[in-house]
Amino acid sequence: MLELGFFYMFAGLAVMAALGVVMSRNTVHSVMFLIFCFFNAAGLFFLLDAEFIGILLILIYVGAVMVLFMFVVMMLEVNFAGLREGFLRYLPIGGMIALVLFIEIVAAGSSGIFSPEGMPDPGHAAQHVNNTVEIGKVLYTRYLLGFEVAAIILLVALIGSVVLTLRVRKDAKYQNISRQVNVDPADRLRKVKM
Amino acid sequence: MTQVTFPLPDVIPLIPEMFVAVMAMAILLWDLFLPKERKQWSAYAAMATCAVAAALTLKLASPDSVNAFYGFFILDPFASYAKLLIYAGTFFGIVLSLDYMKDEPNTGEYYSLMLFGTLGMMLMTSAPNFVTLYLGLELMALCTYVLVGYQRDVLRSSEAALKYFILGSLASGFLLYGISFIYGVTGTFDFAKAGIGIAHAGADAHMALMLGMVFLLAGMCFKVSIAPFHMWTPDAYEGAPTPITAFMSIGPKVAGLVIFIRVLADVLPALQVDYTTILTWLAVLTMAVGNLAAIAQRNIKRMLAYSTIGHIGFAMLGLIAANADGYAGVLVYLTVYLFMNMGAFAIIILMRREGIQGELLDDFAGLSRVRPGYALAMGLFLFSLAGIPFLGGFWAKYVVFIAVVEAGHLYLALTALLFSAVGAFYYLRVIKYIYFDEERVAFDFAESRLMQATVAVTAIAVVALGLFPGPMIDICKAAISNII
Repeated sequence: MLELGFFYMFAGLAVMAALGVVMSRNTVHSVMFLIFCFFNAAGLFFLLDAEFIGILLILIYVGAVMVLFMFVVMMLEVNFAGLREGFLRYLPIGGMIALVLFIEIVAAGSSGIFSPEGMPDPGHAAQHVNNTVEIGKVLYTRYLLGFEVAAIILLVALIGSVVLTLRVRKDAKYQNISRQVNVDPADRLRKVKM
Repeated sequence: MTQVTFPLPDVIPLIPEMFVAVMAMAILLWDLFLPKERKQWSAYAAMATCAVAAALTLKLASPDSVNAFYGFFILDPFASYAKLLIYAGTFFGIVLSLDYMKDEPNTGEYYSLMLFGTLGMMLMTSAPNFVTLYLGLELMALCTYVLVGYQRDVLRSSEAALKYFILGSLASGFLLYGISFIYGVTGTFDFAKAGIGIAHAGADAHMALMLGMVFLLAGMCFKVSIAPFHMWTPDAYEGAPTPITAFMSIGPKVAGLVIFIRVLADVLPALQVDYTTILTWLAVLTMAVGNLAAIAQRNIKRMLAYSTIGHIGFAMLGLIAANADGYAGVLVYLTVYLFMNMGAFAIIILMRREGIQGELLDDFAGLSRVRPGYALAMGLFLFSLAGIPFLGGFWAKYVVFIAVVEAGHLYLALTALLFSAVGAFYYLRVIKYIYFDEERVAFDFAESRLMQATVAVTAIAVVALGLFPGPMIDICKAAISNII
């Protein structure tokens, strides 16, 4: 019973936080709501005995990714008036598509297959089962290919971001380290007889 | 201590993938040590990588399906054939880049990203489950986003990359959302198992499956630019460096249609009635948008973008036919399209001259008087794209049209025929510029043996495939034999 109460608390707060992300006018508030949303999602993982993933979500998403998000939001000067331009013009068609999608998703989600009877409670894992160990067992064996490809995707993201932003400017003054190291005192200092 | 046994998976089927991955990283490092005047060598290394990978794929090709990596990778004739097309697309893309990218900085990363993109496409063609499909797709997409925006000092290049990136991310979201519903119903990522699960799903799962299928199809339609998910295509094609436009118009389309075929044939056969209706309407819309909008274009890269959309619409007839002939027809279409499209892009790149991009239709005026050879080759490519008989493009259309008629969609084939006639108009208009108009801008061609060789090889291939289509069609049918 207590567990069910926690589930509804985390799930309800996650949905409210997600609404806050899209509804708030201030981008910084949106990021804050997203952090809150991730916290509640982590709570849901804890209820499912997946404490490792829950901790990862907090450490990586809340701790690292969202901080970066915050930096980016603060660095970019977003023109909010410009963003709202044309909102009314696209509202009828956009709203219609959103409404149809919403009805479809609700219909699909509430159809029998996802009902409590269709998806029984998985219960809890035994005391000796440690989900960090369980993930470790399959990550480098069964899911090795996916893991390696994900690594290559990250490498490509890294290369891509450097390629798109690295700028060698001709007019900028660069330090030439080897010349600095190999400099001879005689080149710099001239003793003059007075 | 927990003991974990580590059985080394069967890596033999993945040798081409591993080779491409290692070479992409090696080129990335090697390029740093190349002096400025030898930067071209990284391009030669990338071309050699494609050639060796093709040899490895041919060596490994066998008539059976081989599963590797615990069902995360499949090697069958279908994947092998698609990979050969992808290597060819990348190879030609690199050849076209040689002169075009000569003055750009960071060419090592450029060729390395092309190889990483190729790796993503290879994984997509060999995907037996949704995990490999999605990872391969993201790898390919990420590389193309960066390559489209490579000329970051050119405004339209950055704009195209940003548009492509945002819409592409949205489409990936659609795809994942669709997959999540199918996973929710069947409890598996494996294509074959999911297909069985869908076939045995009860009536209460119907709504969830439909929603999953619609989102899945929408995500995949975006990647191969099927209308109404085609919006990014003209901008991305126009803004990208021309060799990347050529690269994007082959490999990603091959990989996208291959996963389309795998998903339709393995995951969704139980929903064939439903998806046929959706795809039929999308095909009609795609053919209409592609062929009608192309007429209004003055920029030939934009025109070829709409032409790609139109051709994907024709190739979709093979998907709708959903039989062995139809799927083989898609492969035939892609094979022919590879040569005629690459040839056309090679000519466009040759048209770039001092001060002008050579992308406007006007720039082609009077080409036949200055360089009759190029004019003839461009004429052949355009006739082939239009589907004039006894060139490669005719057989591509013929095979899918026959397949879709045999599957009982006569009206769809007639509609396609109508749009094909409309499409011929804008291809022939370019020929009018080349042959019947006066020269407006002086031609001054950079001589490049490799480019000339590309034009010659693709032109010969288009004619040869047109005169002797038999062997190609037989190979494509053999390649498809494990799917159906």
